[in-house]
Amino acid sequence: MNLFLANILLALLWVSLSGVFSPANLLFGFLIGYLALFVSRRAFAPSNYFGVVERLVRFIFFFAYELFLANLRVAYEVLTPRHNMHSRVIALPLRARTDFEITALAILISLTPGTLSLDVSADKRVLFIHAMFAEDEEEVRKDIQNNLEARLLAIWRQQPSQ
Amino acid sequence: MAQNLSAFLMFLGALLMFIAALGVARMPDLFTRMHSSTKSATLGVGLIMMGAAFHFGEVGMTMRAVAIIVFLFLTAPVAAHMLGRAAYFAGVPLWEGTLSDALRGHYDRRTHRLLSDETVQEQLTEGDTAS
Amino acid sequence: MILWLTIGFLVAAVLLCLFRVARGPSLPDRVVGLDLLSSVTVGFIAVYAVVSGEMIYIDVATVLALIAFLGTVAFAYFIEKGGMPWRKT
Repeated sequence: MNLFLANILLALLWVSLSGVFSPANLLFGFLIGYLALFVSRRAFAPSNYFGVVERLVRFIFFFAYELFLANLRVAYEVLTPRHNMHSRVIALPLRARTDFEITALAILISLTPGTLSLDVSADKRVLFIHAMFAEDEEEVRKDIQNNLEARLLAIWRQQPSQ
Repeated sequence: MAQNLSAFLMFLGALLMFIAALGVARMPDLFTRMHSSTKSATLGVGLIMMGAAFHFGEVGMTMRAVAIIVFLFLTAPVAAHMLGRAAYFAGVPLWEGTLSDALRGHYDRRTHRLLSDETVQEQLTEGDTAS
Repeated sequence: MILWLTIGFLVAAVLLCLFRVARGPSLPDRVVGLDLLSSVTVGFIAVYAVVSGEMIYIDVATVLALIAFLGTVAFAYFIEKGGMPWRKT
């Protein structure tokens, strides 16, 4: 977290020194500050910051790709005249524990291929989802747990490996 | 160049919204209709907003477009979740092609609480048929 | 030219949404139609802002995007807490 503040400070310093106050320049300053901090990372105590940023960026790209696939698949299903869907309501045991983790996972599930989160059980252990292309129930469950949930939780749970 | 990109993005967004609306019009049951409307419509509005931001090319406009996109990506799944839950609870029928329904019997009709597997198992062994 | 095609697709989307709103068969189905209709309207306003060159319309789209979500949530709450006129019990 301290490194994040240092990064913002570096970005502001870059903006004030270059004298152009625009969002694009602020973003550029943030990137340069991040690079500078990354190069000198051995000077600080081991921190989760670089790992979190790297995994977050990877996750955003992974998710954008999934969102693209989701739209292609649903569009194909809508445009072809016959319904060859296999829809099911599936119970998905959760590894996410806090409210924030469950909310994030539910939102992301709603936006990815053929799945829609319906409700969380009152004890927060099971998420019920409606899946559109679920010939094999177990396969859908494994896919969400190993890809989406594991990657999402790893963003802030995984510890630095220095 | 920026104008062409903006027009192309907006066209793509409109196409996605058309597909979403087509899905809402011809999918067989409520839940598959919601699949179509949450995914395609959010991405469609996002693309249109990006196109408008490219067209005007101003800072305030870009900020507004980003704000709308972020807001839609946060709220569309929440709206779908609330509506899906309410509809299931109110007894809207599922499509006859639905293969299995893990939710059946998990709702407590009186308190509106959703039970997880273990609790339902306990109730069923007590000989009390939920739902 | 491509802008008119864009508007054409949006008009078709509005008509399809209205078809679902009119057809039903249940209240949640109509609400899905209305929800999508509001999204399409947000997109429509943004396209109109580009066509007319007036940036101020984008503010209208922002407000509509905020309000539409509240509308859907209110409907969902209403459906869950009792208004089920299509059920014969």
